[in-house]
Amino acid sequence: MMSHDELLDNVAAYALGLLPPAEAAAMAKHLETCERCREEYRFLRPAVTAVAYSAEAGANASAGAAVVSPLLKARVMKRIRAESARRSQPRVWPAYAVAAACLAIAIVTGLADLSLNARLNHDRAQAAAQAQTIADLAAPDAQRHPFAGGEVLTHGDRLYLAMHGLPAPPRGRVYQAWTLAKGAKSVAPSVTFTPAGGGIAVVRLPEAATTIAAVAVSVEPEGGSKQPTTTPIAMVRI
Amino acid sequence: MEDAGRLMERVRARDADAFEVLYDRYHRLVYGVALRVLSDAAAAEDVTQAVFLTLWTSPSLFRDGNFGAWIARVARNRAFDVVRSRTLHAGSELPQSLPVDDALEDTALAHIDGERVREALAQLPPEQREPIELGFFGGVTQEQIARQTGLPLGTIKTRIRTGLRRLRNALEGAVTV
Repeated sequence: MMSHDELLDNVAAYALGLLPPAEAAAMAKHLETCERCREEYRFLRPAVTAVAYSAEAGANASAGAAVVSPLLKARVMKRIRAESARRSQPRVWPAYAVAAACLAIAIVTGLADLSLNARLNHDRAQAAAQAQTIADLAAPDAQRHPFAGGEVLTHGDRLYLAMHGLPAPPRGRVYQAWTLAKGAKSVAPSVTFTPAGGGIAVVRLPEAATTIAAVAVSVEPEGGSKQPTTTPIAMVRI
Repeated sequence: MEDAGRLMERVRARDADAFEVLYDRYHRLVYGVALRVLSDAAAAEDVTQAVFLTLWTSPSLFRDGNFGAWIARVARNRAFDVVRSRTLHAGSELPQSLPVDDALEDTALAHIDGERVREALAQLPPEQREPIELGFFGGVTQEQIARQTGLPLGTIKTRIRTGLRRLRNALEGAVTV
């Protein structure tokens, strides 16, 4: 059994980093519970730091100590500045992502106000879906297929239709998305939607993006149609 | 002079100017520690670069306390990693890495001048100074020091502790807190 004086000697060795790993771990554990050894450790730590400082290189060659090459700073700072510049480049968010983000904020605010509402769980699921949408729309690796007035965007297996400048549909009418499956000869009905304020629409289409060859949009009666009944206002191949 | 803790807050916010101030203030310490451990200027430069790039990429590794003490320990540990990676030392037991995330860190002696420390160390009797320097920079355990010197292990332990206490007392009041 080690005496406490021996333990205190080991505290010095521990502070200086001289103990083998297993003994160091045991000492660290001992310090958690022994106030006397902890006090010794606190007292000695600055001396250990001082030992490190004794090696400090000189500011210039005339000091007689080792001198750091100024080229080293140039190398380090070049990497730091380059990385810093890369990070500070303004990220241009697609307008749709901004719109979707605004919508998500509105939903979250609504949830806070309606915290006792029975629809909370449903709205939470909506908020989670909205967050997914925002992440997909802003993803740098999303595939974008622009067309006049909007774009179709895919990220992984998810498929989105984003449009702007859409007028409100005539009374009793909605916009309807259509998808053309790969290898198919005719389009299939997808979701119906109306634009939000500002004529912006961001719609998640339920079809798997990898199975779809094209997306189209037309104006249809409320409730949607089984086949387009008007000329599509937009069509894009993906 | 803006303190290192505040500069690190700015580094966390990706402020390259704050990083440069820290580099200017602490690169001689980092390089000096690495050079003493490795005795190789090129390898010491590599360690210095690695330590500062880590500081930039993972600034949260430093929490608070004495920044100089912290980065000196990072430099020593990193230099020992280089020693470990060298074939010559493969299989040999190196002492512990200095604890970097240390809740017991003391902020006393926050501003230490290398020249004053060298003077204080030089005042220690050689039998106390040498095992301290050999242990800290040489990467040897106190058992190895005892074997090298032919002295009992207990004697080495006591000399190290006595030397550190004398150094601590010598520096008390000679530096600003």
